[in-house]
Amino acid sequence: MKSSRRVWSIATNTLREAVRNRLLYALLFFAVTMIGFSVLVASLSYVEGERIIQDMGLASIRLFSVGIAIFVGIGLIHGEVERRTIYTILSKPVTRPEFLLGKFLGLLLAVWLQLSLMASAFGLVSLLAGAGLNWGYGEALLLVGVELMVIVAVATLFSAFTTPMLAAFFTVGIYVLGHLSRNLYLLGQESEVEVVKYTATLIYRVLPDLETFNLSVQAVHGLPISGAEVGWAILYGVGYSAVLLILASFIFQRRDLQ
Amino acid sequence: MTNEVREIVRVESIVKDFRPGLGLRAKRVLHGVSFAVRQGEIYGFVGPNGAGKTTTLKILMGLIRPTSGNATILDCDVRETGFREHIGFLPENPYFYPFLTGRETLHFYARLSGVDAGRIDRRADALIEWVGLENSCDERMSSYSKGMLQRIGIAQALIHDPQVVFLDEPMSGLDPIGRKDIRDIVLRLKQERKTVFMNTHILNDVEMICDRVAIIVKGRIRHEGPIQDFLEDDEMRSDIVLSALPPEEARTLAENFSARVQRVGERVEVQVKDGQVRDFLQAALQSNAEVLSVTPNRVSLENIFLEAVEQGERAESAQGSEEDQES
Repeated sequence: MKSSRRVWSIATNTLREAVRNRLLYALLFFAVTMIGFSVLVASLSYVEGERIIQDMGLASIRLFSVGIAIFVGIGLIHGEVERRTIYTILSKPVTRPEFLLGKFLGLLLAVWLQLSLMASAFGLVSLLAGAGLNWGYGEALLLVGVELMVIVAVATLFSAFTTPMLAAFFTVGIYVLGHLSRNLYLLGQESEVEVVKYTATLIYRVLPDLETFNLSVQAVHGLPISGAEVGWAILYGVGYSAVLLILASFIFQRRDLQ
Repeated sequence: MTNEVREIVRVESIVKDFRPGLGLRAKRVLHGVSFAVRQGEIYGFVGPNGAGKTTTLKILMGLIRPTSGNATILDCDVRETGFREHIGFLPENPYFYPFLTGRETLHFYARLSGVDAGRIDRRADALIEWVGLENSCDERMSSYSKGMLQRIGIAQALIHDPQVVFLDEPMSGLDPIGRKDIRDIVLRLKQERKTVFMNTHILNDVEMICDRVAIIVKGRIRHEGPIQDFLEDDEMRSDIVLSALPPEEARTLAENFSARVQRVGERVEVQVKDGQVRDFLQAALQSNAEVLSVTPNRVSLENIFLEAVEQGERAESAQGSEEDQES
């Protein structure tokens, strides 16, 4: 009980810090502008204008929300050590895993808040442009939220032991590879060399399969999305993030805070 | 029935090595540091910059791990966290979230410390008054001066009414009024029967408020004991001022009498133990030196501190030359 209270205090404080970060507002402004810009792009096309609006809108949401998650996440722990605010926090009965979890949850809440603002802008633009909305968009945005959870967990892991610059490099790398890992796996299975097959499988198992969270095509084209598919993606995202946080706690526990 | 005073903080043979980079040789910053802090006392941990004071304190706060040795607070290993409900910590040059006000900062630390929700307001108000921040407690921390940050830092350290308080350079960078205020706060903590561990290099403050003192130099404890031992030592020293003493002769005399020698222009100032004054003067006169003055002095904390620093430097350079010869 006390532990959850401490975690929640750190999380709300982190959320408050993120909400007051002016740079995030700039990113949010660009995201909303991009969503609005999709109307202009759609007006230049003779066909499927509605799809262009929604395709571009979803892509903007994904791009900017991941950008925000990485931008804030990479300095999550480093900033606390650099400014020495962590000294007073850890001198209280706060364990390092509690601190890490609190920071993670706070950032996740901030990113989800931004996502909901972008989703509202997307919905508004779609309605104003007369583009129909279906449940698929809701499910697609839900899984964008789950993907963000994984990205925040990756950024938290790297932030626990390295500098923001390296953490950014690694997190962006994981994001890009995470979207390619399924294709790499399928490509590897085509190979006749056992080592290639084995390596491709290993990479697929270790890296996050971020395409699991991509329902943009189904949503835009109105294709059916099964509940099981969404449920599995949520379970996978939560499980993967939990493993990353346990690993981050393990590393952070052993770190000297100089 | 024994009347033994409980040891609240126990540090036993702590060694700490830092590796400056991958593949580089580790640097030892603490060489088997041991001391104990007793219940209800103000303990001064004194040393020059880079002596290892903050490293020791960070080990006690669980922020860094010792390479070897043990440290306990309230009989709990410092790597545990549960006992931290009973300790408070003010780091050197404290920094807090700039977007919070002073009051919000105290509420945040109170929640982390496990203070009951119903008590937080009362406790925060009492501490704001105690540290004298009534007029600025609702301003953002970004507008706080160094002295105000120090005060709110002390308030957050005390928000959960801890038994033991650790202060890292609490008076550093403050003006005389600010220093006096912090001294008064520390003395009030003692009145409230709290144990205070204070890192500092300001000897004047140590002489005024500490009960016991440890002097650390280059990662080694050089002296430890009650402050009276430092201030009321029966041993007297004499400051002797000489002129016309060649530098080589001055060096030889300093080595023979284990004296502190300082050259000021043409003059040489030497401090020797009282029992050695006659022999020293004879030796100096034989070297054709002129004696300008002899002033007996009581040993002060500053003298012991300076001597400890010199000892530490001599020991380190001797060790360095031994290592050079070995390699």
